[in-house]
Amino acid sequence: MEQMKMMLVDDEERFLSTTQKLLSRKGYDVLTASSGTDALEILRTHNIHVVILDVKMPGMDGIETLNAIKRNYPLVEVIMLTGHGTIDSAVEGLKFGATDYLTKPTDVQDLIEKAEEAFGKRQVLEEKIRVAQSRTVGKSAREILRETGGQR
Amino acid sequence: MEKTSYANLRRGILVSMILVPLTTFILILGIGYYYFTTSLESSTIATMKRIVEDHRHMIDSFLTNRKANLEFVLDSCPFRELADPEELHHILLNLQKESSTFVDLGLFDQDGIHLNYQGPYKLVGKDYAEAPWFKEVLKKGQYISDIFMGRRRIPHFIIALKREAAGKTWVIRSTIDTYMFNDLVKKIRIGKTGEAYLLNADGIFQTERRSGGNLMDKDPGVVQRPPSHTGIKTFIEEDSNGDKYLYATTWLKDQNWLLVVRQEKADAFRFLRAAAYIIVLVTFLGGGAIVGIAFLLTGRIVRRMERLDTEREQLGGQLIRASRLAELGEMATGFAHEINNPLQVMKSEHALIDSIVSELKEKGDLQPSESLSEIEDSMEQIDLQISRCGAITQSILKFGRQSEPVVEDIALQKYIPEITAMVEKKAAVQGIALTQEVSEDTPPVHGDRGQLQQVLLNLYNNAIDAITSRHGAQGGKLVVGARAKEDGRVEISVRDNGSGISPEDRKKIFRPFFTTKPVGKGTGLGLSVCYGIISKMGGIMEVDSEKGVGTTFYVILPGSKQFRGKNRWNK
Repeated sequence: MEQMKMMLVDDEERFLSTTQKLLSRKGYDVLTASSGTDALEILRTHNIHVVILDVKMPGMDGIETLNAIKRNYPLVEVIMLTGHGTIDSAVEGLKFGATDYLTKPTDVQDLIEKAEEAFGKRQVLEEKIRVAQSRTVGKSAREILRETGGQR
Repeated sequence: MEKTSYANLRRGILVSMILVPLTTFILILGIGYYYFTTSLESSTIATMKRIVEDHRHMIDSFLTNRKANLEFVLDSCPFRELADPEELHHILLNLQKESSTFVDLGLFDQDGIHLNYQGPYKLVGKDYAEAPWFKEVLKKGQYISDIFMGRRRIPHFIIALKREAAGKTWVIRSTIDTYMFNDLVKKIRIGKTGEAYLLNADGIFQTERRSGGNLMDKDPGVVQRPPSHTGIKTFIEEDSNGDKYLYATTWLKDQNWLLVVRQEKADAFRFLRAAAYIIVLVTFLGGGAIVGIAFLLTGRIVRRMERLDTEREQLGGQLIRASRLAELGEMATGFAHEINNPLQVMKSEHALIDSIVSELKEKGDLQPSESLSEIEDSMEQIDLQISRCGAITQSILKFGRQSEPVVEDIALQKYIPEITAMVEKKAAVQGIALTQEVSEDTPPVHGDRGQLQQVLLNLYNNAIDAITSRHGAQGGKLVVGARAKEDGRVEISVRDNGSGISPEDRKKIFRPFFTTKPVGKGTGLGLSVCYGIISKMGGIMEVDSEKGVGTTFYVILPGSKQFRGKNRWNK
């Protein structure tokens, strides 16, 4: 089974490093980005499954980053990380295609659970895509000919 | 405003409300009284003057007539006729026909010898050469005497006239009945005490005075005389008895007699006194009315001002509280938000340590020991405290994040049971009897459903906490009620029989972060959030409590506008 690849996006460096360490210890593959721009850069070069995205960041904020991710990498699952005060923006995030949200200060266990859930969803989605693609690929030339010929 | 300044205000209003109308009032009365008095006095004096004038005229003409009678005798009768007793008798009878005051008639020669006499006495032959009247008449040609006793010891006065013809001089003299004369002057009567009398130049009574004063006596009073012979003098003077009299005096035309008319001042000015009494009465009654009304109005004004001030103060207090809450909310939100990030870091660090420790334990690098369990206990505590901080920041954020209420009409008859049902189970577990008293005629309120729910649940939970802290798990009572207030607003009440709130705490109860709950149990934001919510809906919250008896929270909200309109129609 494929290993889940996560990316943490937050402007708080220490949070990133500690959480990364922690998740690594639990056996997860985690990348970190300290800004939306960094996150998009990493997504360009890595196959990331789940992104944990802080809503409130300097520069490109969470919602903007989410929109960019969803536009360029629609299959990436995004979990919004929000202070309670910005729960409205979390809701907004859900409307723009985020999978779920976490409120600060969040428990690592909760984070892992939600990430797993999102990864599960991603896998189901990928599976569906694979099946759909293999069906098209699996058709023989004859079958295709028959189909088109029959139409004539 | 301070109590004393109300007292000052009351005094100020009272003084001006009494002084201004009272001064005007008294001024008007005074001016009225002055003019009334002046005109009454002058008319009284004018009347007096007229009487004096009339009577002087009357007396003058009496004297003139008597003199003219005698002149006529002199003119019409030659000496020889006058010297004849028969003829003289005849002349006297004619004179007496003219006026009954003629008592006798006598003829004298130039040496003062009484030549002829007709009358009640025997006077013929007597010598009057040295009598003052005779000397006077020889000198001036005529003479009217003062009243004197003469030889006959009876008061009388005489008129004597001289005639010269053919080198011969003779004098006729007639005695005038003083009693008749007396009556004429005495007849004058003004009011109750008005009287008239004659005085001679020496102040001797020439007529009797009704109020005492015999003929020929000296007038004991001081009588002022007019300077000229034709003028009239009026004055007020105390007489010997100490009574004040209004006098009018004038000289007779042909005689050195003073006609005096006088009236007791009190009698002459009795209308004045009546007017004075009425004015005093009016002053007291009117003044009393002014003072009474001033007191009444001042009381009313000051009470009303006090009420307005109290209302304004309350309103001001509410506004200050509301604006302070809003500011605080904004600040707290930003603050809480910033706290969340370090909390997140701490939480992560904690989780990391936790995971490292568990790993070390698993590997056997860390042996179970007292120190290890202390570390674990400490770690647990850190986790707990971080969670606590998280709870606080979340409450703060909730407090600061009140969105604008979406107001709609809420029928409390249905709404309150719905909300109450949410805490029914909890109340039952704590042995609390939950009662609902929503009056059927309670109008719908104008408010936000979700926010009102938050407020009510908060109040319920507070009530339940207060009840359990006093009664434990039985004997609690919680009553939720709703009714229409007189002013069209609606009052929702949540009453408990819990531990109650002390008066000092009651003042602070709606302040953010004020709590009586044990550390870690409450954030102290619940009621301030409720307060903010209700304020935004245009309502107010109040509390009524007694320590050890219970607490009632009131939520007073505006009633539905439609309903209010309808209500007005019905009225």
